[in-house]
Amino acid sequence: MMHQIRVASESDLSEIMEIEKACFGSDAWSKPTMRSELLAPHTHYVVAHDDKKILGYAGLSKPPSSESADIQTIAVLDQHRGKGLGRALMQNLLDYASTKSVTEVLLEVREDRPVPKALYESLGFLSIDRRENYYQPDGVAAIVMRLEIVSNPITEPVVLGIETSCDETGIGIVRGNTLLANVISSSMDQHARFGGVVPEIAARAHLEAIEPTLQKALHDAGISLKDIDAIGVTNGPGLAGALMVGVGAAKALAVAIDKPIYAVNHLVAHVAVDILERGKLETPTVALLVSGGHTSLLLVRDLLNDVELLGETIDDAAGEAFDKIARVLGLSYPGGPEIDRVAKEGNPKAIRFPRGLTLPKDQEKHRYNFSFSGLKTAVARHVELAESKGESISIPDVAASFREAVVDVLVTKAINACKDHDVPRLILGGGVVANARLRELAAEACEKEGIELRIPAFSLCTDNGAMIASLAAQKIMAGEQPNDLDFGVHSTLPI
Amino acid sequence: MTQLILAIDTSQGTSVALLLEGQVIAEQNLSNSMAHAEQIGSAIANCLSAASKKASEVSAVAVGLGPAPFTGLRVGIAAAKLFAQGTGAVLFGASSLDAIAFDLELTENTLVVTDARRSEVYYALYKGKTKKQAPILVQGPGVQKLADLKQSLKEQGISYQLVEGKITASALGRLALAQLAEGTISSSILANYLRAPDAVPAKGKKVSG
Repeated sequence: MMHQIRVASESDLSEIMEIEKACFGSDAWSKPTMRSELLAPHTHYVVAHDDKKILGYAGLSKPPSSESADIQTIAVLDQHRGKGLGRALMQNLLDYASTKSVTEVLLEVREDRPVPKALYESLGFLSIDRRENYYQPDGVAAIVMRLEIVSNPITEPVVLGIETSCDETGIGIVRGNTLLANVISSSMDQHARFGGVVPEIAARAHLEAIEPTLQKALHDAGISLKDIDAIGVTNGPGLAGALMVGVGAAKALAVAIDKPIYAVNHLVAHVAVDILERGKLETPTVALLVSGGHTSLLLVRDLLNDVELLGETIDDAAGEAFDKIARVLGLSYPGGPEIDRVAKEGNPKAIRFPRGLTLPKDQEKHRYNFSFSGLKTAVARHVELAESKGESISIPDVAASFREAVVDVLVTKAINACKDHDVPRLILGGGVVANARLRELAAEACEKEGIELRIPAFSLCTDNGAMIASLAAQKIMAGEQPNDLDFGVHSTLPI
Repeated sequence: MTQLILAIDTSQGTSVALLLEGQVIAEQNLSNSMAHAEQIGSAIANCLSAASKKASEVSAVAVGLGPAPFTGLRVGIAAAKLFAQGTGAVLFGASSLDAIAFDLELTENTLVVTDARRSEVYYALYKGKTKKQAPILVQGPGVQKLADLKQSLKEQGISYQLVEGKITASALGRLALAQLAEGTISSSILANYLRAPDAVPAKGKKVSG
């Protein structure tokens, strides 16, 4: 009969040892060594046999923490060589390795054995190193060979993205670079009477909203959960209690539908969203992300591998400053749209409010950082001073001048980042992008400097699940491995 | 059809159990009360693999609704909601304090308390059991300083046995089965916070000085 391959068991030990001694002589492993190899949880040993006996065997080791697998040994009885047994054994080990998320398989071969070396080369192994006097007592060198395992990524994965880092419960679905659904449930109204996002209220709202939001997203995309290839979820930065709702839900869903899960950085995802509109991300690009929670400048050389945080706010986020000044001016929450509305009638040059961290002395340490607390205090003092003197203030003028100060700093620093790094692109993200003056000034400045400006649709600028799905999809298409189920949430997750 | 229940409670640590026809076939009780989001996914996956069951075989999910510290409690409820949606299993909720009471005799008044932090306890007073062995609630659930609670019960002339309990998903699963059998189970999945969020409405407009 033809030979067959099966997994080795302890009862094969005696027969394996006979072959081991016959093939390796003085180099042979001892029986206890071979037994522990066969039984170890991280090894995979197989035997080739006919209907009478074992003809050869081979083993592979893949420690749980490693992305490399090692071919431990391979042997075929002398009289059965040349029949393809060695190749069949090797192929079995490589097939096994490909199911274990390994990126490479390594082996060593005696330099004076051209036949096995040729076999390994024909399987795609390349020589990467030579170790002098490796095999003793013969003093023969070992050739170290490596086979890169290229996982076969799904070309257009359907990915569900879950975002709960602040006050928006966002669920998005993408297929590769294509947007299928983007549903956002906001708890903004519940925060209004507090003048800002209350973390506990946001977290409670996520728990209530997550299931209906998911249902609506599936409905909009016209798919069911069985069509989903993977799940992406924001694990930071953001509000810890809010992030935990999304992460807990996403992990349970991944287990329920038996699909891989990818932990996604919220800030980088704001950049990945551009792919859903243009089919690709042009790099390098600078990204200015401005919201109620963030004010960050990113330099993106490569979306997956090279994103640098150039700077961020050292106190309030820009969106928070809008909320607080709206309150000072007696306007409602959220402050951004209200100030935008009132400022239309005002003169942006009426009052020269300070531009935080723009003085020459700040340029070294804070060239790309932001600060809005001084501005906020200046506006409040201006209003209080006028009130104490019994003078009336022009709310439109104050709103317009305040808005101008914020937007001026944002745009100036973003343009500086582009020019300093010779980057001809700027992408905007975050809820404050809704601000008309920010878009207008950014467009003017970019045109003047010859910088291409990208402003995604507002539903993709504000926090949303589609951007999370988009970044997870990019990871999958690049062959990145999923996260294990134990990842945590990080309110200050670095880029 | 076989009844395979996934029970989840994250009131204290992360507790997950699988019950097949009422028998506990796998259980994970992780005591860390600060790692729910980290542990919930593998706790569920580990229970399934220990029992050699597939997620798709789960017919119902029972989740503890508290009262409990909010942040951890929500992780279990969020997980239960999407696990149920992902598998098509039916979702039920039950009181996490009832799960403690379920394993007690309850022949006398029994006051079950758990740590509510801020020097307070979550509590509920029970006496007796239904035909299906579900605990009968007399007072609560509530949240209070234990000394104040004791004083209040004394003033009401109520004597009781005090039990400081540990909540397990296996007990919650058995409780859910009892409540399911007698038709008292809740399919409305609302976390029982008992406390309003710590938030003060915006005062005046002064922000400087």
